Amino acid sequence: MGYFIEFRNIVKRFDDFVALDHVSLNIPKGAFVTLLGPSGCGKTTLMRQLAGFSEPEEGDVLIEGKRMNGLPPFKRNTPLVFQEYALFPHMTVYENISYGLRLKKVPKDVVDRKVNDMLEMFNLQGLETRFPKQMSGGQQQRVAFARALIMGQEILLLDEPLSNLDAKLRVEVRSELRQIQQKLGITTIYVTHDQDEALSMSDIIAVMRRGKIEQIGSPWDIYFHPVNKFVADFVGTVNFLPATMVAAEEGGSLVSYAGQTLHVPVVLDVPAGGCISLVVRPECMHIAREGEISEHHARLDGVIDHYNFLGRVIRYWVRVGEHSFIIDDSNPDLTGARTGAVQLILDTAKLHALKDED
Amino acid sequence: MAAGVSVKESVKEMKRLKNEPLLLIVIAAIVIFVGYFVIYPVIRVITVPEWQDYAQLVQKARWATAIKNSLFMTVISTVSCTAVAFLFAYVNARLDVPCKGLFRFVTLLPIVSPPFIVALSYILLFGVQGIITKGVLGMQVDIYGRFGLWIVQTVTFFPYAYSVIYGVIRSISTNLEYAAYNMGATRWQVFRDVFFPLCRPGIAGGALIAAINVLTDFGNPMMIGGDLALLPTEAYMQISGWYDMKTASVLAVALLVPALMIFLVNRFWVGRRSYVTITGKEISLNPFSLPKWVKWTLFGLTMFISLFILLVYGTLLYGAFTKAWGYDWSMTLKNLQYVFHKGGQIWNSIKFAFLSSLGASFLAMILAYIVQKKQIGINKLLDFLAILPGAIPGIFLGIGFVMAFNEKPVELTGTAAIMVLALLFWNIPTCYSAATAGLQQIGNSVEDAALNLGANSFRSFKDIILPLLKAPFLSGFVLSFLRSVTCLSVVIFLYAPRTTVGTISIMVLVQNGQWGEAAAFTIVLITIAFAVLRAAQYILGKQGIKLEL
Repeated sequence: MGYFIEFRNIVKRFDDFVALDHVSLNIPKGAFVTLLGPSGCGKTTLMRQLAGFSEPEEGDVLIEGKRMNGLPPFKRNTPLVFQEYALFPHMTVYENISYGLRLKKVPKDVVDRKVNDMLEMFNLQGLETRFPKQMSGGQQQRVAFARALIMGQEILLLDEPLSNLDAKLRVEVRSELRQIQQKLGITTIYVTHDQDEALSMSDIIAVMRRGKIEQIGSPWDIYFHPVNKFVADFVGTVNFLPATMVAAEEGGSLVSYAGQTLHVPVVLDVPAGGCISLVVRPECMHIAREGEISEHHARLDGVIDHYNFLGRVIRYWVRVGEHSFIIDDSNPDLTGARTGAVQLILDTAKLHALKDED
Repeated sequence: MAAGVSVKESVKEMKRLKNEPLLLIVIAAIVIFVGYFVIYPVIRVITVPEWQDYAQLVQKARWATAIKNSLFMTVISTVSCTAVAFLFAYVNARLDVPCKGLFRFVTLLPIVSPPFIVALSYILLFGVQGIITKGVLGMQVDIYGRFGLWIVQTVTFFPYAYSVIYGVIRSISTNLEYAAYNMGATRWQVFRDVFFPLCRPGIAGGALIAAINVLTDFGNPMMIGGDLALLPTEAYMQISGWYDMKTASVLAVALLVPALMIFLVNRFWVGRRSYVTITGKEISLNPFSLPKWVKWTLFGLTMFISLFILLVYGTLLYGAFTKAWGYDWSMTLKNLQYVFHKGGQIWNSIKFAFLSSLGASFLAMILAYIVQKKQIGINKLLDFLAILPGAIPGIFLGIGFVMAFNEKPVELTGTAAIMVLALLFWNIPTCYSAATAGLQQIGNSVEDAALNLGANSFRSFKDIILPLLKAPFLSGFVLSFLRSVTCLSVVIFLYAPRTTVGTISIMVLVQNGQWGEAAAFTIVLITIAFAVLRAAQYILGKQGIKLEL
């Protein structure tokens, strides 16, 4: 099975620090793959191995089955959009965008046409003669995209390209970017520490920590079936409930939590009586309304500690015994937030469970 | 372990260089070139004397005194230079006072002047025929010696310390001081606990720059040192008077050791202790005002020193148009006519300075580029080669060139080439630091972006780095030009009758007591230096770039 891009057992050290520790990742053609993780986890380093800005100590980087190791960056055809854009400060927008084509000695009329296509695609018409410092951050960023995409390569590398934009623009650009990527069918690697960006744009997410990939999967996999507490916690908000295994079941497990026996749709390799953690997203539980509780509900008694009103939801912090739970009420009351003692109902169909790590 | 990994890294990077043969050739050429014209002369000077020659340093009382005197002058002049420099830097950066333009101007003047002009002017003012001592006070004093030299060196070299200290003070955010005031600190406590500690790297750096200049100073002691034995002048006497190369080499080595120590301390100790972080943000709040009496006291002191410096230069200008200093005060143009008569020497000054600066800027820029942007194992060596000439006293380099290139295969004695080459390598550190500073402002990713778009090392250098380096290139070139035009110590051993330059003529004129002609010569040299500086500032200014010296 030939993947378009392959990282095989990559090891990269900076002196004593291991930046990448035997990392392997296969990327099919046309996929939008996000490398997600906290700063220092090695996500940018991994991408730089592909662009050729540094060389791994061990392991291979392959594009279409061809080994890239040792090839200088200017022979790799892997256009990259830099976090701080890296526009050439002494060149105009036109000169910046066309630079790569001019290097390849593409005829002037072809260059002009392609630059115009890019200016149109990124809504930059009329700015051709501006210098980078004469433009806003958003405009600079679109020039950076245009400069990378004009090369017409099948790969696009994005290194936190949205992190210098304000929050509202970021949301707009990310959906535009995803549409362009799907339209052109470019295999894209996207580096970010922002879980919203990762979930909203990706076909595949690779969650990284300390130079290793913790989990590779679709946004749904990563969000609802994290392989460990780190991934669960890094991608989204989460409550962990300590529970014990009762028995394995058809397509799931019976677990015991706070005196109640619950069915969770996860097969766990844990003997009866073993310790596990229930992974509960804020949207997997809700505060019971008057008269809603019945016998078959999995429920908890708690007291509302404090809340944040966010407009479309109210986020409650509810204390249950020693634990504090985060619960999103997406149907807030018009008059205000709830207070005092409440009962929480768990949506067991959406529950996830993890074997406790030592 | 770490060393092993970095060696492995270097080997790997060197392998990558195989893909860029051009880079490999350039690096090899630079190493050979610098090695031959810097390392080889140094080794010659060190190895020519025998052990018993070195033993003279302690056995012969005059040499021991020269060492003692040199170190003593270095200490006292460095202290005064640093104090004056701090005063000027503080007033210019932090006080709301008038006449700052004047203060900045007087810190620039000594940098564009030949190193001995303050001494010359001091003789005109206070010497046997001095306008103040003889003309106004009607007295006769001996100004030659320690005290005169101390005053002269302070005025000559404080601007070098000033530019370092001023740069550091400018970069200290006033917000830090406001934060301290906010926590209840008094003005004095803020100065002592926040401001001064942050200045310390600048003060240390400035002091060391001043110290190396004072220690290796040749022009001023030559003119005003009198009987005071100092290492650079004694070394010169050995060659000009006795053709004794061995003893001259011994004295030059005795000078090299402390110079190298100062240089290394500055480079590896002070350089690493800088707290300054360049965030690109301008100082956001105006400095908190000082009590009036403090402010005006500082202003008065600064003004006094500035006026003294103006007096120094005014005297020279006056001297240039005076018939016979001390005897006949009537105005004349004959001194200027004399300079034009000797126009060939001025032309030599300009020609050699231009060629050597051009060469030094190019070589330094390529070096800086490779060291800054190419992650290869040989970088540490290249960096060392580029800064090394900065640790070598001019007099030492001059002697080294005489000894290294007076016989085959490369016989350059008496040619213009030896003058240009010596000045070229003497100026490499100046241009190298300008180019390095310029390169560091260019984000790493800008060049990565060019590589990423398909430009090889050569193309990305030509298309991206070169245009962006225009400003640092020009500022390195101008600085180096000013240094070359006003240089005496390097060329004093290398000139032949046909390759005499302005500074050498001035020295000879002063020794013959021809003050008027010497002053006129000096004024012409300063005018040329200033014209070049202003032209460069104008050219860069049109592109919106400020030339910093």
